[in-house]
Amino acid sequence: MKDKLTKEEVLHVANLARIEITEEELESYQVKLKELLDQVNTVNEIDDNNTDYLIAPWQNNSEFREDSVGGMLDPKEVLKNTPRKSGNYIEVPVVISNE
Amino acid sequence: MTKYIETIGIEVHVELKTNTKIFSSSKNGYGQMANSLTNVIDLGYPGTLPTINMEVINTAIKAAHVLNCKIRKTQHFDRKNYFYPDNPKNYQITEARTPIGYDGYVEIEIDGEKKKIEIEEIHIEEDTCKSAHRGKVSLLDFNRAGVPLIEIVTKPCISTSLEAKLYLEKLRELLFYSDISDCKMEEGSMRADANVSIRKNITDPFGVKCEIKNIGSISNVKLAIECEIKRQSNLLDKGESFKEQTRRFDDKLGDTVLMRVKETGNDYRYFPEPDIPYIVLTDEVINSAIKSLPMLPDERREIYISKGVSLVNANKLIANRDLSDYLNNFIDTDLNFKEATNLLLGDISAYLNREEKNINDTKLTIEKFSDLVNKISDNTLTSKNLKDILDKILEEDKTIDEIIKECGISNITDSNMLNDIVLKIISENPDSVTDYKNGKDRALKYLMGQIMKETKGSANPKLVSDILIQELNK
Repeated sequence: MKDKLTKEEVLHVANLARIEITEEELESYQVKLKELLDQVNTVNEIDDNNTDYLIAPWQNNSEFREDSVGGMLDPKEVLKNTPRKSGNYIEVPVVISNE
Repeated sequence: MTKYIETIGIEVHVELKTNTKIFSSSKNGYGQMANSLTNVIDLGYPGTLPTINMEVINTAIKAAHVLNCKIRKTQHFDRKNYFYPDNPKNYQITEARTPIGYDGYVEIEIDGEKKKIEIEEIHIEEDTCKSAHRGKVSLLDFNRAGVPLIEIVTKPCISTSLEAKLYLEKLRELLFYSDISDCKMEEGSMRADANVSIRKNITDPFGVKCEIKNIGSISNVKLAIECEIKRQSNLLDKGESFKEQTRRFDDKLGDTVLMRVKETGNDYRYFPEPDIPYIVLTDEVINSAIKSLPMLPDERREIYISKGVSLVNANKLIANRDLSDYLNNFIDTDLNFKEATNLLLGDISAYLNREEKNINDTKLTIEKFSDLVNKISDNTLTSKNLKDILDKILEEDKTIDEIIKECGISNITDSNMLNDIVLKIISENPDSVTDYKNGKDRALKYLMGQIMKETKGSANPKLVSDILIQELNK
């Protein structure tokens, strides 16, 4: 088993998280992220063959909500926490169009 | 014709017609002031919890049923993780592992041959916020965030761009009729992506797949697929290879344009959504959703045709849901459907379009419509009479008989009186009589026209025709 991640692996994860990292950080994360992964991997040692797949921290099934309109926020409230706005829109640096 | 075998799969996102969003009680609406239909759940504030809208589940069950899918009784949601401003939680809640519907099909008809387009799965998910790109900034509107969607994924079983178009048309008709979605591609409530690949031989593995995202209309889906196949063919012809990628269709350019080389499925790091426990559907819930479905287009078409309506008119009726629903009130009666359809698609549609009204906003009760159709079928009313009184019929509470009386419509059905007029016209037009006897049909029409003119259009045409032929053959 290798003792650290490759630089490409770390850069890939950084890219998915949309963060920039320095060369120094890159080297340290190669080791730190690997340690983290190894810790999480210990979960795989548990014998769970006879255990149901639990997705939520309680056993009840979902309850449903009636389809009737409830309280909504005033657009002024919505825009209060945004650093930049344009009219009633929240403004962010341009992203490549997915549309 | 290309020398390659085309393989096409289609993914369609459809916004569901519910009152509220999937995980919050904010209104599900279109065309409202930006960021006016939101609450803390839609905006992804920390500490908020999603709750499932019952109607989303019902509507998705209906969709699964009309697309002939098997329905999964135990489902859960997953988080699809990605960082993008359209989704402040940094994950989209979606049914990645347990789609509500699977193994279905939609039947299309090509040149009289039926083909089943296989549906791989239907899953429920939330829509993201809508972003508009303006120069150096993007503008976000969260009214769309959390609008319920279903994604319908076909198997890679579509072989031509025409099949893709027919599939989408059929899908839209089905979903629209089932009240699942209003399916407006121009408003984004139905959005299509096409996965396209080509290969040389049927025994080869599938070629490299390119996905064309968010195509704006059904006709553009057909065009986009054709352009993409041409592009891939040209590359393979030259011996070049290409990577799996996402493209978009530029209709001004008439070609597909590269957006990005694809992130792989793993990059989304799916894991179960711990805030939403298992969804378990009872038979009762499933059956009651299915029971609430209205009659679907294929069944309507079959009934109309069996009652003497032409295929063209049956399709026109189905394209106008309100008229079709109205006519369905008479399915169990012996109403003349052919005449009724002509009336609905003709004079009544003209009135509704002119007045920008819906048939349900008129005074045309079921009893009145049935009376009207009968009076036209037995020639009590002529088409000219109808034009004179239709507005009154549609706008006033009176019965047809009352309106006829009030308007002084004296539809001449007195055969003695008609007989005199017929004889007069015959004696005034000896040349036409000779022409008729020499087998010229046109002469009969001319004489009919003269009689109708003489009676100012108020004669019963069937009666005139009978008397005229009788007299001419004497």
